[in-house]
Amino acid sequence: MPPRRSALTARSRRRFLQTSAAIAAGLASHGCGWTLAEVRPASAKGDKDKLSIYTWESYIDPALIDTFHTHTAVDVTYDIYDSNETMLATLRSGKGTNYSVIYPTDYAIADMIERKEVITLDKSRINGLENLMPQFQDSPFDPNNAHSVPVSWGTTGLIYNANEIKTEITDWSDLWALKSQLTRRMTLLADVREVMGATLKSLGYSYNSTNPAEIQQAYTKLTELKPAIATFTTDAWQNQLIAGDYLLCMAYSMDAVTAIQENPDLNLRYVIPKSGTSLWSDAMVIPVTAPNPDVAYEWINYMLQPAIAVDITKRLFFATPNQAAYDQLPNPVRNNQNLFPPEATLKPCERIITLPPQVSEIYDRYWTRLTSK
Amino acid sequence: MTADSSRPSPKPTTKAPPKWLEPLVLLLPAGVWLLLLLVIPTLLIFELSLVPAIRPGQVVNPSGLENYFRLLQPDYLPVLGRSLFFSLSTTILTLLLGFPVAYWIALKIPKQWQNLVLLSFVLPLWTSSLLRSYAWITILRPTGVMNTALNLLKLPSLDILNREPAVLIGMTYSLLPYMVLILYAALEKLDRRLLEAAADLGATPSQAFWQITVPQSFTGIAAGALLVFITGMGDFVNPELLGGASSMTVARLIYNQFLGVTQNWGFGSALSMLLTLVVSIAIALLLKYGDRNAASGV
Repeated sequence: MPPRRSALTARSRRRFLQTSAAIAAGLASHGCGWTLAEVRPASAKGDKDKLSIYTWESYIDPALIDTFHTHTAVDVTYDIYDSNETMLATLRSGKGTNYSVIYPTDYAIADMIERKEVITLDKSRINGLENLMPQFQDSPFDPNNAHSVPVSWGTTGLIYNANEIKTEITDWSDLWALKSQLTRRMTLLADVREVMGATLKSLGYSYNSTNPAEIQQAYTKLTELKPAIATFTTDAWQNQLIAGDYLLCMAYSMDAVTAIQENPDLNLRYVIPKSGTSLWSDAMVIPVTAPNPDVAYEWINYMLQPAIAVDITKRLFFATPNQAAYDQLPNPVRNNQNLFPPEATLKPCERIITLPPQVSEIYDRYWTRLTSK
Repeated sequence: MTADSSRPSPKPTTKAPPKWLEPLVLLLPAGVWLLLLLVIPTLLIFELSLVPAIRPGQVVNPSGLENYFRLLQPDYLPVLGRSLFFSLSTTILTLLLGFPVAYWIALKIPKQWQNLVLLSFVLPLWTSSLLRSYAWITILRPTGVMNTALNLLKLPSLDILNREPAVLIGMTYSLLPYMVLILYAALEKLDRRLLEAAADLGATPSQAFWQITVPQSFTGIAAGALLVFITGMGDFVNPELLGGASSMTVARLIYNQFLGVTQNWGFGSALSMLLTLVVSIAIALLLKYGDRNAASGV
C-alpha cells in the first residue's frame, strides 16, 4: 500500500479549510428575484461496464478494484477528494456527472438529501444491509438509511504524549485542569462544531446544543483555555506531536490510530472522553446524475460483503460498521479499543446534526470572536 | 459602408472600417471577457450582499444594507484590523528588504548577470504557496530548524510559530519577489548621470540617495507597495497555517460564511465587497501615483 498521507495531502474528515474550493452559483429565474442555487447538470450516459467513484483517499485501492473486476467485469475508475466541501463544490459546479458512487460524511449526506442530489435507494437491490451493526441501521440525518449505506465510522477524541503528560487523561475537563502545563502546546480541530461541541459536553450539555445560553457558557469556558491552544488544525498536528512541540491534540480516531501505529515507541495515547464525543460515519450514496446506477448497486453490494469489509479495515485504520466483518477481524484489530470502543464508551456520544440557520449564526459569531481575540 | 463605395475617392478607403470602429474591435474580446467574468459577477455579489442571511436555494430579494451594518459590529472590526495589520506590515517589510536587493541588482551587478539574478529571485514563486507555508512551519516550530540552530549557538529558543511574527515572515517571503521585480524595473531606468552630477557637486552618497534615487524611483515604490498590500489583503494560506489560534482574517471569514456552518452567502458577499472596496482604493492610488509601466512588467 502506498503511504496514506503526507502533510500536504492529508485528508480531513469534515469541514476542512480547502483554500480553492470553487463554488459556482447557477441562476434559476424564480418569480421576481432569482434563486441562489447550484448548477443542475444533466446526467451523462454511461457504459454498462464502467463505474466511476468519487471518494476519500485510500478508501479504495487497486486490489479492491481488481477483485471487483474479476467478479463483475466492470472497469472502475475513481477520483479523490480531501474534504466534503471540495466534493460538494465539484458536484455543484456541474463537473461530477460521471460519478455513480460517492462517499460523503454525515452532515454532507444530510445536505445532499435536502437538495435531492442523491437517489432513494431501492433496498430490494441491496444485499447484506442486515450485516450492519444496529446503531448503523439508522441515523438522525437519513432515517433507515434510505439514501446511504455506511462504510466506515469513527470518533473525535484526544491524542496525547503519555511520556510528557503524567496524569491520565479521561475527559474533556482534563484540558482545563492541565491548561498551565499545556500552554501553547495543544491543538483543537479547526471545526467550530467539534470544538464547541466538546466544550458543551464538558459542561454536561448536548454536542448539538441549540440553547443560546449553553452555547455562550461554552464560549466563555473556551476563552479560559485559549492560552493553551497553539492553533486550530484538523490534520497538521501529526508531525509536531511526534516531534514533541505539541503534547496533546484533538483528533479524529483514524488519524490518531494511524499516528499511534506509525510511532510505537512514543507512548502516544488516544482517548475517547468519557462524558461523550461526536461519532461520525462515511457512507456510500448514488447521486441523481449517476450515469450507471445499476453498477453502483453492484459496487455497494460488493462493499457490504463481510470479507471485503474485513480486508479494508485491516488495510486502513477505520472501523467497519459491518457486524459480520467485525466478527471475522483478527484479534489485535478487533480488540483495538480506539477503533472499536466498548458500548459504554459510545453511549454518551452523539452524531453531529445540521442546526437551524439562526443557531449556526450563534456558533459562527462565537467562533469568529474566539479566533480573533 | 456601401454608401461610401459609391463616392469617388483617390484612396481605397472603401474597404477600411471607420476610424472609431478600430478601438472597439480591438477592445471587444477583452471587453466581453471583463464584462462576463468581472463586471457581472461583481454586480451579482453586490446584489447578494443586499440580502440578509441568504443561503443557497433561497430566492434573492435585495432588501437593504443590513449585512453592511453588521460589518461594523465589534465582532468583525478586529478581523478587518488584523488583515490590515498583516498587509501593511508586510508592505513595509518587503519594501525595507526589497529595496536594497533591487538597488543592488539594478545598479551594482553587471548587465549580463542581472537577468540571472532576477530569475533566481523569482524562482520561489514557481512552487506552491501552500508548500512554502509548510516549509516555514518546519523551520519555525519550537523544535524546528531555526531553534536547533539557535541552540547550537547557545542562544535561547524563539517561540514564534502560531503567532503574528510567523505570519509576517511567511507573507513577506511570499511577496518579496513581486516587490523586488517592480523596484528593479523602476531603478533600472534611474538616470545615473544625475548621481554623478550630485557627486561632482559635493553631495554625500546619502544625500544623493534621498534626493535623487528615492524621488526618481517613487513611482516604482508606490506600485510595489500597493501591489504587495493588495495581494496581502487577500492572503489566506499564511495566516491560516502560521498564525495560530488567533489568526482570523477577512479572507478566512469570507470562506467561513460561504462554506462553513452558517452558509450565509449574503454576509459573505458583503465581506467580499468590503475587501473589493479596500483593494479598489489601493488600485486607484496605484493608478494615480504608481509607475504603470513598472507594475505592468510583472
